[in-house]
Amino acid sequence: MNLLATRSVQQKLLAVVLLATLVAVLVAVAAMVAYDLRLYHRSWIADLTTQAELLGRTSAPALTFNDARVAKENLDLLRYRPKMRAAAIYNAKGKLFATFVNNADRELPALPEADGIRIEGDNLIVFKRIVADREILGTVYLQAEYELYDRLLSYLGIAGLVTLAAMLVAYFLSLPLRRVVTRPLLAIAKVAREITEKRNFALRAQKLSQDEIGLLADSFNAMLAEIERATRELEALNRESAREVSVRRRAEEEILRLNTELEQRVRERTAQLEYTNGELEAFCYSVSHDLRAPLRAIDGFSQALVEDCSKELSEEALGYLTRVRSSTERMAQLIEDLLNLSRVSRGELAQQEVDVADLAKRVVADLRHREPKRDIEISIWDGMQAHADARLVRAALENLIGNAWKFTSKAAHPRIEIGALRDGKHSTFFVRDNGAGFDMAYSNKLFGAFQRLHSVNEYQGTGIGLATVQRIVHRHGGRIWADAHPGKGAVFFFTLEPGEAAPAVPRVAEVAS
Amino acid sequence: MVALIKHVVLLIAALLAAESALGQGERGLETQIKAAFLYKFGGFVEWPAGAFARADSTFSIGVLGADGVAAELERLVAGRTVHGRAIAVQKLKRGEPLAGLHLLFIGQPEASRLPEILSAAKGQALLIVTETEDALARGSMINFITVDDKVRFDVALPPAERGQLRISSRLLAVARKVITG
Repeated sequence: MNLLATRSVQQKLLAVVLLATLVAVLVAVAAMVAYDLRLYHRSWIADLTTQAELLGRTSAPALTFNDARVAKENLDLLRYRPKMRAAAIYNAKGKLFATFVNNADRELPALPEADGIRIEGDNLIVFKRIVADREILGTVYLQAEYELYDRLLSYLGIAGLVTLAAMLVAYFLSLPLRRVVTRPLLAIAKVAREITEKRNFALRAQKLSQDEIGLLADSFNAMLAEIERATRELEALNRESAREVSVRRRAEEEILRLNTELEQRVRERTAQLEYTNGELEAFCYSVSHDLRAPLRAIDGFSQALVEDCSKELSEEALGYLTRVRSSTERMAQLIEDLLNLSRVSRGELAQQEVDVADLAKRVVADLRHREPKRDIEISIWDGMQAHADARLVRAALENLIGNAWKFTSKAAHPRIEIGALRDGKHSTFFVRDNGAGFDMAYSNKLFGAFQRLHSVNEYQGTGIGLATVQRIVHRHGGRIWADAHPGKGAVFFFTLEPGEAAPAVPRVAEVAS
Repeated sequence: MVALIKHVVLLIAALLAAESALGQGERGLETQIKAAFLYKFGGFVEWPAGAFARADSTFSIGVLGADGVAAELERLVAGRTVHGRAIAVQKLKRGEPLAGLHLLFIGQPEASRLPEILSAAKGQALLIVTETEDALARGSMINFITVDDKVRFDVALPPAERGQLRISSRLLAVARKVITG
């Protein structure tokens, strides 16, 4: 069977057909041979027995009347039966009475034996008593050919030929039959091979028969359909995900491009702005600077007029001059402030550890020195530190404390407080007063240059101070904001370091309490 | 020497005695054979139904002029049958009636009386066996002859047919000669 396992279905079928034929023919031949040999054996024995009986009957009178000649004549008739080899008749006393030998020298038994049939080699031997009227007259002896083995041999030869012929016939007859069986199978196998080689699941096996192989073809096709469907779905899914990936990649590329573009644009715009800003500041600075010279001339000559020609000038003219000088002073202040604003915008930050409280105290000392008559309560918290440019921080404090000083001038009990709220590492500094305050509705205008919430007549100022402070704070990366209430005061908060988590914005009320 | 002669004489005497015994024996054998044949003829011959008075009537064999044969026959048939019938052997004397006989053997001494016997048995189914040359020509049915020291017999069918006897062909097959008429 192992030998068969590697063979094709055709060859297996052939083997089955030939084997079946062989077995059938051998069994049939064996049965026939057995039947024939048995028949031969029996009929031959029956024949010989009958022959012996017949000889006995015909020879009975010869024995009775002791006529050996007649007995011999009877025996001689056997020469017409070539298969009889020898015969003899014994008389009642067991003596040879008559003999017959066909063709060859044959030994005849000296004495008769009891009735019986036996086979000696290729001889069948029969002894038969001759009985008449219950009297034994003698015995017939017959020796005949017994060809069982010869027959068997010739039958085996015939069986071989028949088997060979049957096998040949079976072989040629099975050719179309095998094709009938194997063609559908081979068709399926061919399709399967093609599918394996080309991975083409659209192929279908042809259904050539309505039997189990047809069923196989159907099942195979159903399986193929399923595989094809699954493959198609998988491919569609692959395509879809590939498409999604490419879409996403394109989107990412787009985003990247836009970002780059944006950054580029921002850089360009920034550069542009910085350039414009620089131009503007340079312009502003040079204008301010250049304005000072004629202003100083106006002031100087106005002063000279007042000092040298006061006698020649009327009171009215002197009053006008005074107003000219006041205006020039204000203009000088304005120019100074503008220059300050320009200055804080330019130059490198020289950051270091700064004692903010100390700076505040110096600013307050300056203010008290300038206006010694002001009765004002100023409290400065201790231990306020910052990592900042000391010169700029001082400028910011000058502006903020100066404002507080200025807007508390009309308060009954003026008070200024400078402190810091610490939240972890970050400090939020504040400058609080109980002065005029302002309406929060205008807080958006608070830090713009030249923006004033109070009239010049009410409070002096150029409207540049808070813009300067905001510029300073921004240069440090910090934030500045305010809270105020008209008539109740204002509080300005600022930080001097970048920090997204700005401390909770303290309200005026909280700080004031 | 005397002893030797004595021996030789004794030997010769013994040989002579043996010769004599043999001759006597041969004659005895012939009688025996003829008796046996007579008995066996019965089995090969059919008698008409009327030949036997009853179903169990005996088969009667008459012997005339052959006492040796008769004696032998009597010894032989003891307990034997012919056609299922017991066998009775009658030693006949000259002139004795033949009625009831089925087989009659006429010995050589009585051969001359054959015509007389034939006429006496006329109409009777009687198988007549003789041992005399040319007896068949004179009406005998079976006649013994000796050929090569063997007892053989000839058969004449016409007298048997006249006597309503049917002789089996198997018997005829072993007869030396059959006269058919």
